[in-house]
Amino acid sequence: MSRTKLVFAATLATLAGGAASLCWAFVHATNASPSPRALLAATVCFLISAIGGIAVMGILRRDCNTLTARLRASDGPLQPAARSLPQGGFAFLQRALTELADSAERAVHDAAFRTKELEVQLKVATAERQHAEAIIYSISDAVLVTDAFDELVLANDAAARTFGFELGAATHKPLDQVLHDPMVIGMIRQARRGEGESSRRVIEHTLHTGTGDRTFKVTLSAVAAPKSAAAPERSAGPAGVVAVLHDMTREKEVAEMKNDFVSMVSHELRTPLASIKAYVEMLIDGEARDVKAQGEFYEVIQNEANRLGRLIDNILSIARIESGLVRVTRQPQSLSVIVKDAIEVIAPQAKQKQIALSEKLTPVFYQTLADRDMLHQAVLNLLSNAVKYTPVGGAVSAEVDVNEAARKVIVRIIDTGVGIPPKDLPFVFDKFYRAEANSRMASGTGLGLSLVKHIIETVHHGRMLLESQVGKGSVFGFELDLCE
Amino acid sequence: MTEKTILVADDETHILNVVSLKLRNAGFNVLTAQDGQEALDIALAEHPDLVITDYHMPLLSGLELSQRLHAEPSTAAIPVILLTARGYHLESRDTEQSGILRMLSKPFSPRHLLATVTEVLGTTPMLTGTTGEQ
Repeated sequence: MSRTKLVFAATLATLAGGAASLCWAFVHATNASPSPRALLAATVCFLISAIGGIAVMGILRRDCNTLTARLRASDGPLQPAARSLPQGGFAFLQRALTELADSAERAVHDAAFRTKELEVQLKVATAERQHAEAIIYSISDAVLVTDAFDELVLANDAAARTFGFELGAATHKPLDQVLHDPMVIGMIRQARRGEGESSRRVIEHTLHTGTGDRTFKVTLSAVAAPKSAAAPERSAGPAGVVAVLHDMTREKEVAEMKNDFVSMVSHELRTPLASIKAYVEMLIDGEARDVKAQGEFYEVIQNEANRLGRLIDNILSIARIESGLVRVTRQPQSLSVIVKDAIEVIAPQAKQKQIALSEKLTPVFYQTLADRDMLHQAVLNLLSNAVKYTPVGGAVSAEVDVNEAARKVIVRIIDTGVGIPPKDLPFVFDKFYRAEANSRMASGTGLGLSLVKHIIETVHHGRMLLESQVGKGSVFGFELDLCE
Repeated sequence: MTEKTILVADDETHILNVVSLKLRNAGFNVLTAQDGQEALDIALAEHPDLVITDYHMPLLSGLELSQRLHAEPSTAAIPVILLTARGYHLESRDTEQSGILRMLSKPFSPRHLLATVTEVLGTTPMLTGTTGEQ
C-alpha cells in the first residue's frame, strides 16, 4: 500500500470513527438505556477513529523530521536531491515550506555576500581617502577642499598657515568662518556654482597677510558629484571645490630681479664699451690735439677695457661658484699685498672723483691660505663699491689688521660715502639686490657684494663684516684664518 | 653764425669728456653736468640751445630732467637728445611730453652724435679746428 493511500485510509478511518462515536453519543443522550450492541459499536468506532488519528500524526511527524534534517544538513541553497520531498499527504505544504526556506536561505546568503562586498569597498575607500589626505598634507601649496554647502572638508598645514586658521577646529565649518579673504571665498563659491562638470580655473590673487602682500596662483577645480543611476543623463551638480594656492611671490621677485639684472648688465657692459668706442673713433678722426691728449685717450681705453673685463669676471665668477664649477687654488697669501694691488687698480676711478685713497697694511709675513685671484676680486669689489658710493672729494681707506690671539687677519674698507639704510643692511649681500635709496647714486648689477660674500664665506670659510651709517659712510670687511 | 650753447649731462666722466671735446672741436659752446639736478640748475640758469643727457643719472634721470625742462615755460622749447645705455625704449607719449627729439643708444659714434646735433639745431658745424679740453 502506497503512503498516500495509507494516509488517506487512516484519515478516513479517523473521520468515520469520529462520526460513529458522535452518533452514539447523540443516541445515548436521547435514550436512557442504550443496548449493549450499540455500546460495542460506538466503542469500536471510537477506537478506529483514535488509531487513524495516531497513524496520520505519525506520518506527518516523520515527514517534518526528514525535512528539518535535510535543511540542517545543507550548507547553502538546497541541492536538487534535497528538494525531493515525500509525495502525497501534506506534500504541497512541505513544498511551500521548502520554497520559503530556500528563498530565506538565498536572501541570507545574498545579504552576507553584499556585506562582504561593502566591507571591501569601505576598506578601499578608506585607503584611497588616506592616500588623498597624505598627498594633500604633503603638498607645500595651500590646499582647501570644500563641499556642496561651502563648508571646509579638508585643508593642509600650508593652507592653515596662509589663512591663519587652526586646522583641527576649521574642518566642517562654513568657509566664511574660516577664511577672512572675501575674494577667495567668492572664487570658491563661483567655482562651485559653475557648470557642474569638473572645470578648472586659474586666477592670480594677492593676499594681504601679516607678513605683507603675497601673490598666489589660485587653481580652482569644481568636482562634479557622481551621476544618479536613475537618470545618468542628468548632471548631478558640483559636489565641491578643490582650491590650490601656489605662492608665487618669490618667483615674481626673482623674475623681476632677473629682468633688472639683464637691464643692469646691459647698462654696465655698454657704458665702458661706449667709452672705448668713442675714444677710438676720436683717435681715428684725429680729434686728439697732441701726443699728450692721445696718451690720455689710450689710458681711458685701457681703463675702460679693464673695467669691462672686471665686470665679465664678476658675472662669470658668481656663475661658476654657484654652479660648483669653480677651481680654487689655495696658497699662502699676504692680504696686504692683495689689498695694495687692488688699490692700484682702483686708483684711476678714485682720482676721477677726487677721492683720497689711503692704506694701512700689516707686514707681509702674516699670511692666509687663499686663492689669490678670488681674494683680489673680492677686495677690488669692496674698493670699487666704496669709490662708487662716496661723493666727489670723499675718502676711502683700506686697512689690514691681525688678531694674533684669535689667529685672524681682518680687512676693512672704510669710506665716507652715503651709507646704507638699516632696512637694507640684511639684504645687501643678496644677488641682484640694490638698496633703493642708493641705486641712483651709481649704477651696478647687484652682483659685486654677493660675489664677495661667496668668495669669503663659501670658498674661504671666512666671515663678512659690515657697519654702516646713513650720511656718514660704511665699513665693509672680512676676516680669514691666519695660516701657520 | 651765433655760437650755440649745448649742455651735456652724464655721470660717466669719460663720456662727458669725449662728447664735450667733439662738440667743442665742432665749434659749439659746451656746458657740463654730472647729475640730473646739476643739469637742471644749469639749464634753468643758462637756457642752452640744446641738452644732451644720459638716461641713467644720479638725482634726476635724463627723462625726468627733460620733463622738468619741458614743464618750465622758459626752457620748454629746448630740444633734448637722450643717450641711453640700456637699449631703452621710450613710449612716444614720454618723448612728446618731454621735448626729447632724438635718442641715441650707447655705445654711440661721436661722429653720428655730431651729425644729430647739427640736424636738430639746423646748423653746420664750424669745423674751426678748435680743440676743447679733454
